[in-house]
Amino acid sequence: MGEAETTKSVPQETPARAAQAEMRAWLLGALGWAVPGLGHLLQKKFDRALVFFFSIVPMAGLGLAMGGKLYRPPFDWSLGMFANLLHVLAFLGDLGAGALFFLAQVAGLGHSYMNRALGDYGTVFFLGAGLLNLLTALDAYDIAAGKKD
Amino acid sequence: MALLVQVLELSHFQAMTLFAFFTSVVFAFLSKNAWRERTRYFLYSFFLFMVVGMGLGWLMFPFPR
Repeated sequence: MGEAETTKSVPQETPARAAQAEMRAWLLGALGWAVPGLGHLLQKKFDRALVFFFSIVPMAGLGLAMGGKLYRPPFDWSLGMFANLLHVLAFLGDLGAGALFFLAQVAGLGHSYMNRALGDYGTVFFLGAGLLNLLTALDAYDIAAGKKD
Repeated sequence: MALLVQVLELSHFQAMTLFAFFTSVVFAFLSKNAWRERTRYFLYSFFLFMVVGMGLGWLMFPFPR
């Protein structure tokens, strides 16, 4: 009897409402991926939004300014399976930077490989920015989905 | 567009420091909520990045290309 009363007192979430909340969480995660910090900004997490934006964008910009290379299709299978797999993973990491990746492509940046250490560092800077942006997008999703405070 | 490529010259140490700084800031804000905890985590992460980076540099020193 007591258990039944407890069950009654808890408001039940309808499936439609749950689906809507899940969709909103995915949307905020996608927006966080597209623009660093946007997913947090729309959830009024201003400190995180500012820090993510002003960390990831400069990091990607520094990578390009250092002569970093952006990975993109087509993938060269003549390099062998292992090298090609690394190329695909690096492309996915770069893609994590969202709009920054596409803006760099449109601007024609990151097309040439700088055969020196600083160019390699630049490549890693942009890759690091992409991977960090993926983490922040997942964080925005988790907050929106109520999996995190 | 070639003029826009490699407009920045940084030493290896400067590049490592910048990478450690930005990455540590994001890690701290992702994993902690309170400012005091974030600061501690940032310092810890930044310190480890620098120490491990320099340690690996010294380990590789006897093996130049």
